[in-house]
Amino acid sequence: MHIVRKVTDDLYWIGANDHRLTLFENIHPIPEGVSYNAYVLLDEQTVLFDTVDWDACRQMMENLEYVLDGRDLDVVVVNHWEPDHAASLQAVLARYPNAKIVSTEKGFMICRQFGFRTEGHETVEVKEGDTMSFGTHTVTFLEAPMVHWPEPMVTLDLTNGALFSADAFGSFKALDGKLFNDEVNYEEGWIDSNRRYLVNIVGKYGPHIMKLLGKAAPVLDQVKFICPLHGLVWRNNFDYLLDKYQHWATYEPEEKGVLIVYASMYGNTEQVAQALALELVEKGMTNVQVRDVSNTHVSYLIADVFRYSHIVFASCTYNLGIFPPMHNFLLDMKALNVQNRTCAIVESGSWAIRSGDLIHDILDKEMKQMTILNERLSVASHLHESETEDLSILADSILDSMRE
Amino acid sequence: MLFKPTEAHEQLRAEIREFAETNIKPYAFQWDRENYFPRKEVVEGLAARGWMGIPYPKEYGGAGLDVVSYAIAVEELSRVDGGSGVILSAHVSLGSWPIFAFGTEEQKQKYLVPLAKGEKIGAFGLTEPNAGSDAGGTETTAVLEGDHYVLNGEKIFITNGGEADTYVIFAVTTPGIGTKGISAFIVEKGWEGFTIGDHYDKLGIRSSATAQLLFDDVIVPKENLLGQEGQGFKIAMATLDGGRIGIASQALGIAQGAYESCKEYALDRIQFHKPIAFQQSISFKIADMAAQIRAARMLVYSAAEMKEAHEKYGMEAAMAKQFASDTAVKVTEEAIQIYGGNGYLKGMDVERMYRDAKITQIYEGTNEIMRVVISSYLLGKPPKQENTNLLAASGPTNITGPRKKLIYKKGSAQEKVDQVVANLKADGYDFTVGIPADTPITQAERVVSAGKGIGPKENMKLIEDLAAAAGAAIGSSRPVAETLQYVTIDRYVGMSGQKFRGNLYIACGISGAVQHLKGIIDASTIVAINKNANAPIFKNCDYGIVGDVNEILPLLTAALDTGEKKPAPPMVKIKRPTPKKEKPPYKIMVCDGCGYEYDPTIGDPMNDIAPGTPFDKLPEDWTCPMCAEPKDHFTES
Repeated sequence: MHIVRKVTDDLYWIGANDHRLTLFENIHPIPEGVSYNAYVLLDEQTVLFDTVDWDACRQMMENLEYVLDGRDLDVVVVNHWEPDHAASLQAVLARYPNAKIVSTEKGFMICRQFGFRTEGHETVEVKEGDTMSFGTHTVTFLEAPMVHWPEPMVTLDLTNGALFSADAFGSFKALDGKLFNDEVNYEEGWIDSNRRYLVNIVGKYGPHIMKLLGKAAPVLDQVKFICPLHGLVWRNNFDYLLDKYQHWATYEPEEKGVLIVYASMYGNTEQVAQALALELVEKGMTNVQVRDVSNTHVSYLIADVFRYSHIVFASCTYNLGIFPPMHNFLLDMKALNVQNRTCAIVESGSWAIRSGDLIHDILDKEMKQMTILNERLSVASHLHESETEDLSILADSILDSMRE
Repeated sequence: MLFKPTEAHEQLRAEIREFAETNIKPYAFQWDRENYFPRKEVVEGLAARGWMGIPYPKEYGGAGLDVVSYAIAVEELSRVDGGSGVILSAHVSLGSWPIFAFGTEEQKQKYLVPLAKGEKIGAFGLTEPNAGSDAGGTETTAVLEGDHYVLNGEKIFITNGGEADTYVIFAVTTPGIGTKGISAFIVEKGWEGFTIGDHYDKLGIRSSATAQLLFDDVIVPKENLLGQEGQGFKIAMATLDGGRIGIASQALGIAQGAYESCKEYALDRIQFHKPIAFQQSISFKIADMAAQIRAARMLVYSAAEMKEAHEKYGMEAAMAKQFASDTAVKVTEEAIQIYGGNGYLKGMDVERMYRDAKITQIYEGTNEIMRVVISSYLLGKPPKQENTNLLAASGPTNITGPRKKLIYKKGSAQEKVDQVVANLKADGYDFTVGIPADTPITQAERVVSAGKGIGPKENMKLIEDLAAAAGAAIGSSRPVAETLQYVTIDRYVGMSGQKFRGNLYIACGISGAVQHLKGIIDASTIVAINKNANAPIFKNCDYGIVGDVNEILPLLTAALDTGEKKPAPPMVKIKRPTPKKEKPPYKIMVCDGCGYEYDPTIGDPMNDIAPGTPFDKLPEDWTCPMCAEPKDHFTES
């Protein structure tokens, strides 16, 4: 049975939603699911833009057949060859033997590496700035290297203003009947999923996002629909989305606020984190988020890191090192190129307290522009009433560093 | 080969000596005492005789003479007045020569001709607070915006500064790559945003002008780029090679003047029944002086001849400068010794010459740098040293250490003041308490300090009112105490004055000379008020207001005024905030094929690229070590 939505005249969403997958890329939890988006254009030629993950193949094939309504498929444009989009290509090609494939040189290279079979199909290699006409619709291609793979391109339909943006502007969370950004309350229901998707998947490649946005800027006024490969189709309010991207890609915090991430074996360090949060709130900074590193998936922590201006790392010492989940969090931050944040450190332990120095070194030496406040709080086993002054000094230091 | 100048040279010498004896010598003492720049007497006099452009071709307005003639001219002026000598030397060698050697035909017609004719005065701006012997520390920037560059920064110790009309200025056009990112520009006096800062109160050569140059968004037309972008360091070094002949000539002239003066005195002064010249101790001194002066003269003229003959003369010019200046210092010192107590008195020419001589060992390359230059010609480059911090260390430095640098430029004066006051209160400053205005600077918890930007003396009332409202003692910059004498000498703050170690320092109209900044390094909070947004004080402060002191100080006073101040409790030093970690000055490039980052401080060990190699200096055929993407497929991080 088909599940299809019309994007605009002659353009249809034929993707699928997936709630059964637990881990996206087998790493990121997606409790609210995810959508794989594919689109069909009905012009003099019929054109499919990207396909879907193998798990969603059957749904997409039923959708495609319904929309084509007996017509043959002439062209498949593959913007991105990651298997969650390209895996179903073979099934499409088997069903539509006359379809030709359009992609970039690097795209076809990845295609061959994955062993996607294209024998018997015409392949058309396109470059930046090339155009292609399907009848009344003409599209142009822009290369988007390292957003977040080396080979993607984005395709702009110059006739109806649809931008097929590959993984750019994508999001976690299944569509569940909705398709457009204005059919949901984005700020409440979607922005967190969007942020967590973008910064965890593409966060490392801020300079390349900026490069793509720079290239797209001159044609931006022609864009009427942003059609990503996951999540909602955008048909208005682009400034909101671009502003968010600008922050994430340049590693600028979205908001002044404090993320407190703690690693606590027996609740003592957790208590410090809670006391500090309370101190901050009482002193006027209410935008405080407290997370337990042991039971919060790191993708959520990374999303918070991209959101807030300040991060407090409160960690116990473990085997003379950093508590492993906290260590993993720091390494993930480094891997995703997190930079330009103000950090405070709370270290704890019951004999040789080492975690503070080690956290300091990773932030200072292995990441970029991480300002570490001098006021470190060192807790031997448990924070006592007599040490509340130290907590207050740390809170003041954080608040001081927020002033501009 | 007789190793002596030609008759024509000696004829020129006689003419210039006559000019100097008549027009300079009688007034040199007065000019020295009054710090007077003899534009009419010297500059116009030289111009009238065609001597402001001696070594330049007649077609460009010069005299068409050789470099030795030029050396003789500087020597003869310096023989009576070292200050007059350097006016000519800086004009010819530094201000005019780079345009002659590197300028386009249009630039030569527009700028060299009036310089060579002496209608305009030239100067050369390379030195900065953090770029002296090491030009790689240059912080003045020129950013290309369409058909012009925008120049920002500061130059210090500029000879002819303020008096000159045409300036050759060096600025960074490509940051982060050291001397190869420097370019030269021709800048005219009077252009918007180009102002003259401090005039220095010098030990010697006081008839020459030496000033600080400030550039605040100065628009420099593209056609005023001298040579190519990135050629600046080369132009500067080539210019200084020639300039050293000028300074060597100046030193030679000073030595010659002192020698002649003390010889005459020694023949005149009788002790133990005969002229002291015939006391062996004195006669030996005179013999040593003459020998050293002759040796210096040979070195100077030889270097000049080599330059004239287009031979490589860099080493010889350095030798001449080093030897002649050391000779000048030695000879003038001994000259005073021969004069005895009389030589120690103001008004005696040897006293002035002694002071004039010292600078020749320092400027246009210190004599230590001369030895570096000479030995590098002799020994070649030292073995390669790996320095991973090469780039990291080349970033601009703050003299007062890390500061918050929250500078309020926009908005109304009241808004700017309110923001600063809110910050100070949040930092924990309590303005209901205060200290007496005459608390010694070294013991003061707060100081309100006046710089030259305060203007006329009646404006000190603004400072007094602000100090009262802020509960602070009164301080000043050096010129305000020493030259203007608005406050007593013990109130001036600086490296050579009083050091401020308290909490709050409010600098009003202080531009922030290095020596001043060194006196406030320990301040917990520095507030700067200055109308020049490029004043160095803003790079060294926590809170800054760009604005006129006349407008800002009364508002600040009103905002801090709490009526009668309670006596301040014993000082508690306010802790300095953690400095924000800033972006390094070099570029990190990211591969379009895989996301690999090229960090110039690390280089690329897999491809034998040494740490410290900037991305654009990588070989053209270099490829990404991770995915073999070519060099042009990289994006700036």
